[in-house]
Amino acid sequence: MKRIYIQEEYCIGCRLCEIYCQVKHSKSKKIIKTFKEEKSDIIPRLIVEEIGYNSFAIQCRHCQDAPCVEACISGAMQKNKNTGAVVCDENKCVGCWSCIMACPYGVIKRDISEKKVASKCDLCIDEEVPVCVKNCPNEALKFMEKDTDERNKVKVKNEG
Amino acid sequence: MKDKNNIKEIYEIYDYIIIGNSAAGLAAAESIRELDSSGKIVILTEENYKNYSKPLITYYLEGLVDLEGIHFKGKDFYRNNNIDLHINKKVISIEADRDFLICSNEDIYKFKKLLIASGGQPIIPGIKTSCTDIAGGNRDKKGKLLDSINNENYRDIEGIYTLTTLDDALEIKSFIEKNDIRKVSILGGGLIGLKSAEALLGMGMNISIIELADRILAATFDREASFIVENRIISRGSNIYKNSTIEEIFIKDGSISGYRLQDGREEECSLLIIAVGVRPVTGFIKNNSVKIRRGIVVDDYMRTSIKNIYAAGDVVEARDMLLDEKRNIAIWPLAVRQGSIAGINMAGGSEKYNGGFFMNSIEILGIPTISMGLAAIDEKNEKNTEVVKVFNPEEKRYKKVVIRNNRVVGLIMVGNIERAGIYAGLIKNEIDISSVKGNISREYFGIINLPADYKKHLVTGEGIEV
Repeated sequence: MKRIYIQEEYCIGCRLCEIYCQVKHSKSKKIIKTFKEEKSDIIPRLIVEEIGYNSFAIQCRHCQDAPCVEACISGAMQKNKNTGAVVCDENKCVGCWSCIMACPYGVIKRDISEKKVASKCDLCIDEEVPVCVKNCPNEALKFMEKDTDERNKVKVKNEG
Repeated sequence: MKDKNNIKEIYEIYDYIIIGNSAAGLAAAESIRELDSSGKIVILTEENYKNYSKPLITYYLEGLVDLEGIHFKGKDFYRNNNIDLHINKKVISIEADRDFLICSNEDIYKFKKLLIASGGQPIIPGIKTSCTDIAGGNRDKKGKLLDSINNENYRDIEGIYTLTTLDDALEIKSFIEKNDIRKVSILGGGLIGLKSAEALLGMGMNISIIELADRILAATFDREASFIVENRIISRGSNIYKNSTIEEIFIKDGSISGYRLQDGREEECSLLIIAVGVRPVTGFIKNNSVKIRRGIVVDDYMRTSIKNIYAAGDVVEARDMLLDEKRNIAIWPLAVRQGSIAGINMAGGSEKYNGGFFMNSIEILGIPTISMGLAAIDEKNEKNTEVVKVFNPEEKRYKKVVIRNNRVVGLIMVGNIERAGIYAGLIKNEIDISSVKGNISREYFGIINLPADYKKHLVTGEGIEV
């Protein structure tokens, strides 16, 4: 599957990825409207980390064996078998925060703006390229497929 | 009883039988089916439901999820995976040496491989009962005399419940509605007690928690964490009785009317939830034919002492990676992982369980908390152990990191739980954090603060297993 890869050395900490992520997940999908009327309710689904000149944006890695899926008590967090994206079904999510407890990247957040739901990167599945990647001015985020991608489980034939 | 000697001719033989229809059982069934597309799988459950998520029952009680949403696998799960589900099948005996098991309705199932994922059941302490009215007497709702409660009879007293199954939640919900209950007592301030409290407080109830230890969530919280959460509960008019337990339950007309605590205090009560703990369901194992201590003992491949019998989930004692010993840790994520590993190994694969550790997330009246690992240990009594903590009770915030031999082994976060999983990763991967110790309890401790190699591994890797 195609994933978002981080090229830390190119990140300039401009946070355009955050802004476009918020717009993408707004109701209006319009940048001015989003920031004037909706912004307080929209959590960016990625995290920009920064110390001095060192920075990078990190979002869900859409793990093969995702700890958040394993921890989810409601079945809301699922890895889509076709797209490979790990997506939280916000209708099913009860906001128990088990996924926050389990994610070793710390990239799932509490969204309590309406009902409690886990908020995370959905890989902009309806876009050709996720908006954080598309709007990164310095290619610090790349969306691509690496051939080492999938860990193949050994298929064992039925003994009986 | 049917003739056990003739079972080979009469009964269907399953390649895989799974006892238990919850986290571990279903994860196992799914793993088996990925590796073995044709082997016959049957899941036996003593309950009357297709799968539902046990940890969701308190959310159901609170009204955050309905009876449709409580299923964590889709309606078509069994059909799509070609798995038979037999409900209302309570296993009463496993004949380990002869590969078959017997259910309470005398049905016999023969297996090639068996997974025991029967989970846990609530413990009922034997509390004395007495009557407060002469007319009603010390009787249960069927009129039977009793002098103390136990596992068998507590359901016969109106208003006394446990909360570990969907049936429990349904009964409590209808009892609350029917009797217009506004106040609930919870015996036990541990995990189930506090998950019940979370739901009841969310419903606007007043609660009284009775806890034997000197603080709530004593197994995973320390004094500071409990202090913040207890204050929050008390500030809303609820009670917490610590260092105490119920000595006597008062019964009136077959219903609970109140109780007296060890210290003599009495409280009126029409709904009591008993939540002092759960224990593995192992009653069907006779004469230690499968090795049991508190739970069923399994090796790192989730195998029991019998070659073709595996066990997973809340019923087992598996490796605790922090204590380096086998222990029962009854939590959902480990049940899923253990079930999945058992399934792979049952289907001929070879997957190792690297051990687990306790973790828990609970939100009380808007204060989220996460605790994991050896969070409650007293560092003064431990070798090579240090604790870094930031306690801010005014803002209802607390963060504590427990470090042993330069590895994180425990965490408590109260108020702000963002990025708690980063610490779970540090614990699981046993990362040496000596180079970043100064920052480890910072409020915004992130990936960028991690030791260089581990940080590089996380940032430049793909969706890897960590």
